Amino acid sequence: MAFLDVTDLEISYTVGSRTLKAVDGVSFSLRQGQSMGVVGESGCGKTTIAKGMMQLLPKNGRISAGSIQLKGKELVGLKPEEVRRLRLNEIAMISQSAMNALNPVYTVGDQLIEGIMAHTRVSKKEAYLRAVEVFSMVGLEEKRLRSYPHQMSGGMKQRAVIAMALSLKPSLIIADEPTTALDVVVQDRILQRILKIQKEINSSMIFITHDISVVSEICDTIMVMYGGKVMELSATDTFFRNLYHPYSLGLQNAFPSITEMDEELISIPGSPPDLIDPPVGCRFSERCPFATSHCAQKRPSLVEVAPDHFVACHYTEKVDEFRKKARCNETWETVRERMTAERRFEGVQTNV
Amino acid sequence: MYEKPLIQINHLKKYYPVKKRLGEMFKKETAYVKAIDDVSLVINRGEILGLAGESGSGKTTTGEIIVRLQEESEGEIIFDGHPMSAKSKEERKRFRKEIQMIFQDPYETLNPRFDIYETIAEPLRIHGMKDKNQIYEKVVQALEVAELKPPELYLNSFPHELSGGQRQRVAIARGIVLDPKFLVADEPVSMLDVSIRADILNLLKRLRRDMGLTMLYVSHDLSTIKYLCDRIAVMYLGKIVELGPVDQVLSNPQHPYTKVLLAAVPVANPDHVKERLLIDDEVPDQINLPIGCRFIPRCPFVHERCSQCTHELHEYSPGQFSACLFADKEQVLNPDRILEE
Repeated sequence: MAFLDVTDLEISYTVGSRTLKAVDGVSFSLRQGQSMGVVGESGCGKTTIAKGMMQLLPKNGRISAGSIQLKGKELVGLKPEEVRRLRLNEIAMISQSAMNALNPVYTVGDQLIEGIMAHTRVSKKEAYLRAVEVFSMVGLEEKRLRSYPHQMSGGMKQRAVIAMALSLKPSLIIADEPTTALDVVVQDRILQRILKIQKEINSSMIFITHDISVVSEICDTIMVMYGGKVMELSATDTFFRNLYHPYSLGLQNAFPSITEMDEELISIPGSPPDLIDPPVGCRFSERCPFATSHCAQKRPSLVEVAPDHFVACHYTEKVDEFRKKARCNETWETVRERMTAERRFEGVQTNV
Repeated sequence: MYEKPLIQINHLKKYYPVKKRLGEMFKKETAYVKAIDDVSLVINRGEILGLAGESGSGKTTTGEIIVRLQEESEGEIIFDGHPMSAKSKEERKRFRKEIQMIFQDPYETLNPRFDIYETIAEPLRIHGMKDKNQIYEKVVQALEVAELKPPELYLNSFPHELSGGQRQRVAIARGIVLDPKFLVADEPVSMLDVSIRADILNLLKRLRRDMGLTMLYVSHDLSTIKYLCDRIAVMYLGKIVELGPVDQVLSNPQHPYTKVLLAAVPVANPDHVKERLLIDDEVPDQINLPIGCRFIPRCPFVHERCSQCTHELHEYSPGQFSACLFADKEQVLNPDRILEE
């Protein structure tokens, strides 16, 4: 039994009279102390997974199938009261706009102490000492506990929110783009701090980001998502040495690197699929330069291409050819041409 | 052959007065935030200059002053041989036609009630084009250049029907429809998904190549600057601290702040060994500036002579200027400033 086991997780949103599966059959597991990076474009379902695990889905969203087991305990279907007890104690979340989530009329310290006291049986004094301790872990002075949010910079607020999330030493940290709005220097320090604390309290972490280079620096494993599905799942260093999935190859091409000279950036033409009416076959087939008619009809399942390296593609045996061709702009141009032709065709149809 | 630069910025300053508190009512001096403090810069024709720095460094303000969204406090900008302080309405209108800007957020910069045709046709009408066929032709042409193909299908769409990348292309089409000479792009890709960022960067590159556009690219992201720009200017608290050809600056930075910035960029390569340079990540005080170099409170290489620094740019290697008193090799880590993580 792993520390965290997510099996065939499905999360749906109701939009008008229709249902949209934002997360569709996602499975992964995590050992204690391990960190996993989840990457993908907007709308791939990465934030929905985080909200689903925290049971913080909006009213029109629900977990429609699958299970989430934390230390053997099933989280799906728990009563709100039980979930509330779990939050902060066992699972804590650091979200992207967390720094705007602070209440402007209370001091940061009051908010931190309130959280600690709501979830543990400690005196106010003990809670205060705990607050000082976690503040020093994120590099904030004790006197900052008496500050109001508006007296702090963005980076400081984000650190205060991280301190809050980690105040009860949760066994699972879910970080959803915790540094996206911050400057690189601040981002770097905050990432190092999160990483250090995560190792110190030996908790597991799910780190959600659109930036694969951040994952490369701080996570043990990586999960690439597209259109609500897992495309590739692997240990981080094997992933960056041996990419398999055409989508991962596309992402790598699209990323400017600070170390490489004379690189050419190639983007992935098109945009993510409409999940109300998703493609029957592989979700990436519309934008994939290597897609065949088989890809459009049959959905690939995750196959293990190397130990603990899983890829959802029908043509994993052609990976050498894919890797070579994916470096050429012409390869991806074919997708763009295909799409322009289709759009013209649709345009003609609607005009008629 | 010597060609005059397209833009010459001389001793530009932008000071914002700080509101006095009640107790300071009778104080004589007003405190200022020196958003830009004596910046001189030349942008050559056909060049893409990257302006880097953290929030509060003055990079966006510089861009906005060039497009006349803000007035400078002191100094002058000479555009194509004409000083931009010209007061006549006609001259101002001419500047507005020749200098265009693309903003960060394509969700907010387009009028939701204008369809794409109207969005792009508006600047043409403002600048006196009346013939409907001519306007139509120009709009279609701009959409094609911005790679929204086939253009006819986009003309009647509204911004909410388009994806983020398509919206940014519309913003670019609107920016280029007047055939400007100069484009200021302020973080044009930071709100976009990674998979389409490259498209917009490549489009900007193509605009320079095909239309000979000169650009100022404002961003905190060094890796996109490296990809797109010819030269880079790094700003810190209103001052330029380093300036030079982009590859040279990023492979061999001379100023401590550039070194720190560069060390903080995440690298997507597990084999990459990183040299960490930790600095205090507090945002520096913009009002009470230190005497001498503004980076003193955070600089890992700080030396007692730094209080004599005037931020004068020194050419330590050909074409590359640094405001540090010390050349690259003379910069020694100050043991008091080594932070433990």
